[in-house]
Amino acid sequence: MADSTATAAPLTRRIVVEVLIYGGAVCLAALVSALFIVAMRGDVLVAFRTILTSSLGSLGGIAQTLNKISPLLLGSIAVMLGMRGGFINIGVDGQIYGGAILTTAAAFALAGLHLPAVVLVPTVLLAGVIGGGIFGGIPGALRARWGVNEIFVTVMLNFVAYYLTEYLSTGPWNDATSGEAITLPIPDAAILPMLLPQAGAHAGILLALVVSVLIALLLTRTVLGYEIRALGANPRAALTGGINIPRVTLITLTLSGALGGLAGAIEVSGYHNRLILGLTPGYGAMAILISVLGKNRPLGVGIASAAVAILMVGSDSLQRSVKLPASAGFVFQAIVVLCVLLVEARSAARRAHTE
Amino acid sequence: MVGAAAASRVEMRGIAKHFGETVALRSVDFVATRGEIHGLLGENGAGKTTLMNILSGLYRADHGEILIAGEPVVIRSPADALRYRIGMVHQHVELIDSFTALENVLLGREGEKVWLRTDRHRTAVEEVARRFGLGVRLDVPVKDLAIGVQQKIEILKALYRGVDVLILDEPTTMLTPQEVDVLFATIRTLAEQGVTVIFITHKIREILANCDRITVMRGGQVVGTLERAAADEARLVEMMIGQRLAGVGSAERAETRLGPVALEVRGLTVAADRRTRVVEGCSFSLASGEVAGLAGVAGNGQRELAEALLGLRRPAAGAIALAGRDVTRAAVRERLAAGLAYIPEDRIEDGLLPSLTLAENLMLGLHHWAFARRRLFDRRVARELTRQAIAEYAVLARSEDARAATLSGGNIQKVLVARAMALARLTRGVVLVAMNPTRGLDVRATEFVRTRLLEFARAGGAVLLISEDLDELLQLCDRMLVMYRGSLVGDFGRKDFDPYRIGALMAGTGSPRGA
Repeated sequence: MADSTATAAPLTRRIVVEVLIYGGAVCLAALVSALFIVAMRGDVLVAFRTILTSSLGSLGGIAQTLNKISPLLLGSIAVMLGMRGGFINIGVDGQIYGGAILTTAAAFALAGLHLPAVVLVPTVLLAGVIGGGIFGGIPGALRARWGVNEIFVTVMLNFVAYYLTEYLSTGPWNDATSGEAITLPIPDAAILPMLLPQAGAHAGILLALVVSVLIALLLTRTVLGYEIRALGANPRAALTGGINIPRVTLITLTLSGALGGLAGAIEVSGYHNRLILGLTPGYGAMAILISVLGKNRPLGVGIASAAVAILMVGSDSLQRSVKLPASAGFVFQAIVVLCVLLVEARSAARRAHTE
Repeated sequence: MVGAAAASRVEMRGIAKHFGETVALRSVDFVATRGEIHGLLGENGAGKTTLMNILSGLYRADHGEILIAGEPVVIRSPADALRYRIGMVHQHVELIDSFTALENVLLGREGEKVWLRTDRHRTAVEEVARRFGLGVRLDVPVKDLAIGVQQKIEILKALYRGVDVLILDEPTTMLTPQEVDVLFATIRTLAEQGVTVIFITHKIREILANCDRITVMRGGQVVGTLERAAADEARLVEMMIGQRLAGVGSAERAETRLGPVALEVRGLTVAADRRTRVVEGCSFSLASGEVAGLAGVAGNGQRELAEALLGLRRPAAGAIALAGRDVTRAAVRERLAAGLAYIPEDRIEDGLLPSLTLAENLMLGLHHWAFARRRLFDRRVARELTRQAIAEYAVLARSEDARAATLSGGNIQKVLVARAMALARLTRGVVLVAMNPTRGLDVRATEFVRTRLLEFARAGGAVLLISEDLDELLQLCDRMLVMYRGSLVGDFGRKDFDPYRIGALMAGTGSPRGA
């Protein structure tokens, strides 16, 4: 077919170009990070090797990385979904807490019924989805009804969720024996099954992957997904196309929040097995970076989530091996993001110039 | 007078320019002499504006040279062009709205480094204005001035910078006939003072009324340069499009048969805010089979009226009925379902989903009804409809999956027209509201779109054609409504069309109400 070859050539070229751009950006980031490590009087090669071996070099490391990917991927898909509809969801952290709170609440409330895990696990996860949905639905409703900017509302709700968690974890649900801001453990039947039991990887990663694929299908194969993308591409055009913008706004932000809520539910049900303050070490902010890095496309977001998870797990061990502060990992992340954005902006500018 | 001996003021030789894979200009030669009005005629996309953008330093040519007084020069930027006293006034006025005329003229030429002392330069500006007969009020904010006056300020700004090669890009697009007359008189005065005016247009009538010499371009090449005396309309049309087109004759529309009322608007009032009303008590009705034009200078409420019809704006008062059904409070989607189709004014702002594919763009609005399973976006259906549209409307696109942002303006417009027509087909549409549907299209595509509009009416639909191009309205419409400051001030039947009377009403000076 004539037209398929016509489209194939530029597509492969575009992929090659993108791989070059990203490869170049990662090399640049590695270089800058290396300078940074040298400045800290660290050994560059050891540092890089440590990051990779500790996150991917052992079963335990892989398990840790997989456990990290779940909240990052779900949070990033949440941000991505919002961005595709033209919304900026800064509230993933709040939605994670919202989901975690409801998951914990459901687990405690249903504990007395002695439900089997097959029933209780999906129930508490659903509760988390609802919790996140509420924290996404509030900005969604305010935006849909009165045009209130969702950025402010989601940021504010982060505080609400955080201090609600603090209250619950130090107050009514507090585990008095721990002396920390953590709640009592949830019942065993509410705990997510393990994927690699001996290594400690829970099944959250599977859930996260399935949900990501579902969101990808929602966006490309359904009328609702089309309306979300149309709204994100040009709200005025969407309006002239008869799209019910308030409705799509409410659904998009609620769904985005629900994804964050699921991430929180998995953290409680799969990882911590209780609600803790500090459940999210800033997954929300990372999710924004990841969805930008992944260009708001599901596959890109998936790859970027995995890369960030590797970096996060790997840099935890930097302190021990290279005597770099653990926060160096965050510095590397920032450098990678900046380099990718820089290289992208440069190549976009060059494209605009030649066209 | 222009003779063979006249010295060239600027000369362009062998200019070539391509954008990506598109060749915009291939080896173009162009000469303008001192003190002439040189018409640069061609369809949209013929390369006129590109050629002049190169001369004025906005683009750089891939090949070729520019000579000033016989010497090759390099023009890299508008500032370079200004050094050679070449300036361009673009199609859309590029003044700062809240600044006064004087501040706009002085912008970038204030002289002092720190303090703005416009008064010191006032006399110099006034002197230039007097010399070229450009009487304008210098102390009024530009936004309070008519478009024709704003254009004068642009010209004054160029002249104040010492320009004596003045390029005007489609300067009459936004003007009333009266303002066009004033502009032509101004241009004549400039030429008499020795300024070379290069006048870009696609309107043959303006070229014949106004120019000393005419260069015709087609498909990125110069077809030829004629003296005014050697040019006539038929000859220019032939040069411009290479073949004679069967025009949309008025004879075809003589047989217009009016059917039942398709659109009824009563006392429609739209408020911009609490105090200002942008549309004020408009009442009219359209019968099926009718093509009605809405004439008016841009910004007199046409856009708001159209948006209220579609449901993008809530009217403050009044009623709208589509085929007898009241839709005053209905959502956009319900109006589309009731048979309204819409071609938006600003194709980029209001029409396009730039990051989505061509097929996805075409489906906007249709997507409510086009799919067998209502909730699933069936890409095969979308592609099929798009393939049809691409073939029918000769849209130049790599495929139906090409991103809409990669299409050219003309092709985007074709997609929007195709979309409105496809929607009308799907919903058995009865009313088409089209705002400037042919803006930016080449002659062939323009004729094609106009034919579609007339066909829509002939098939029993009613068309409300909102256009700033009075010629287009005069040519196409059975009836003409005139809008001024939010009110309908005229309603003419085809036999009473009189461009000057309509123009006077558009400008707010005519006696209200037509025949």
